[in-house]
Amino acid sequence: MNRRQASFEREPARRVFASEFREIRVQFKETEDEKSPTYALLPSGVRCNRVFIVGTLTEKQRQGDQNVFYRGRVVDPTGTFFIMAGSYQPEAMQQLARIEPPAFVAVVGKPNVYETPDGAYLVSVRAESVSVVDRETRDLWVLDTARDTLDRLDAFGTTGDSRSAQEHYGTRPDVYRKIVYDALAQVQM
Amino acid sequence: MDLSEVAERISQKIEARGASVDRQKVESRLRRLVEEFGVHIAEAERTVTNDLAREHSLSGIGGTSSELRAIHDVVPGEWVTIEGKIVALTPSLSPSIAQTGVIADSTGAIRFVTWTRAGAPMMEYGHWYRIESAVVDEYRGAPNLKIHSGTTISQMERDLPLVPSVTPIAELRPGVGSVRAKMIQEWDVVHNRMLQTGLLGDETGTIRFTIWKEDGKEKLELDTVYNIYYASVDEYQGRLSLNLSTATYIADEGDIEVGRNETAATGAIVHIAPGSGLIKRCPVEGCNRTLSRQNYCPVHEIQPNFRYDLRLKSVLDDGKRARNILLQRALVEELTGISLGDAVEIAESNPLGMDEVFYRIRGAVLGRYFTCSGNEIDGRLLVNTCTPVAFDPAELAALLNRAGGEAA
Repeated sequence: MNRRQASFEREPARRVFASEFREIRVQFKETEDEKSPTYALLPSGVRCNRVFIVGTLTEKQRQGDQNVFYRGRVVDPTGTFFIMAGSYQPEAMQQLARIEPPAFVAVVGKPNVYETPDGAYLVSVRAESVSVVDRETRDLWVLDTARDTLDRLDAFGTTGDSRSAQEHYGTRPDVYRKIVYDALAQVQM
Repeated sequence: MDLSEVAERISQKIEARGASVDRQKVESRLRRLVEEFGVHIAEAERTVTNDLAREHSLSGIGGTSSELRAIHDVVPGEWVTIEGKIVALTPSLSPSIAQTGVIADSTGAIRFVTWTRAGAPMMEYGHWYRIESAVVDEYRGAPNLKIHSGTTISQMERDLPLVPSVTPIAELRPGVGSVRAKMIQEWDVVHNRMLQTGLLGDETGTIRFTIWKEDGKEKLELDTVYNIYYASVDEYQGRLSLNLSTATYIADEGDIEVGRNETAATGAIVHIAPGSGLIKRCPVEGCNRTLSRQNYCPVHEIQPNFRYDLRLKSVLDDGKRARNILLQRALVEELTGISLGDAVEIAESNPLGMDEVFYRIRGAVLGRYFTCSGNEIDGRLLVNTCTPVAFDPAELAALLNRAGGEAA
């Protein structure tokens, strides 16, 4: 019936730990259409167009003269996310400019994979927004991310995305279970 | 519809009568009608069924469907014979329609349409009729009985009292439904043919209702319980509403504790949309639209005597689905600790003006976890209650078990 009117649906922001995020290598589009979203394939087996991360901003750097942009490092219990915000992300850039590390921050952004000429991969988050939060929010995020990661691992092998993750990454679910366990163990009761 | 499914259905019908058929032949006959001759699938099904019935000298299936059916059980795509009472007649909206209304039996009710070209006799309100070989199809998502030139209508000498069965609001489907419900809200009428519109509720939920201006139609009274029989249940943009044009309604005694069919969601606020924070509203009565920065209302133009309001349009994301949410002033004040008065003062004393309020509200909620519940309308959750999520050590323990337990 009115399927064509089905309104635009925003892509959900996936919860993912840093040590899984940095393993991303594969990005793809569903259709050739210019406007179709770009997805990164997470090793735990789900496509991801946006991420939500909470951690500690440990350092930030202003770079560039003409085209100013900011880089930052956000640390979670498993590792480090690299975040960027340039003139195409004015909201995030202004927010990041104001925040003094160290601080707990919540970052919403898009995954970005860059392959250097010598074959190394740089995986980062192009931030849409960065805001200061508190420790409790960080702890809630660790639980949330642990739950979502376990959900993905439980469904591993049963979904199309997880089968292609198996193909590209040779994911071993028990490795990621261990990562989840270690992350949770760092949260204080 | 898949032709092999149709072929299977036909074959089963024939086999139920003791004859045997070749499914592939049935399907190829169907395919020939549908693909070569452009025949509608429902019509092709009828034709093939009839042909097979004739070949096997069977009677009582297909187009000669004289088997009496319960109205509750008919589904779109069928040719049916029913017996029922005319419980509502509505004005025809088009010259090609002779009559429309609702016919009911003890199992349920269905809307019907008599085409002018059918040349059928007009049916009278309150009488029983036997309708043979009518077609059930779907109109705006609801089953609808079509009376065409091949339909036979005969009036019956019968007057059984019909007691419509009442459906809980949460279980209504497009079509015809009867409810026992309380009128809980009356909304502004937006159309000059509309008599009244508002919200009805029962223990299971709420639904919008509309009464159009017609002879003999009366308004419902607020906070009164009604028995509403044979209302049309319409679906528009995924939401149901009750049209009382076909209905009879009488006030009933007693009260109903109205249940709210609320949607609840827990997640992080990942985006604050423009138009959040301190806004100006049009002061014209019944308008309430948001004014632009230049105090311009899309309908009433420049309005210098605007009212201030606070709201939050944002996205609550649980990692699997991003939901648009809308929080009204009271909740925004509670979550951010900034009252409307504070916000107006901030806006008037700060060089950034209203933007400063936006930034402060954003700083207070962006990236944090909340549980929101409310009514979902047109893809947006209108939030009634919103609470910050608190850290729960039991949850941590459960997740540790889940992660550790299966790793070994």
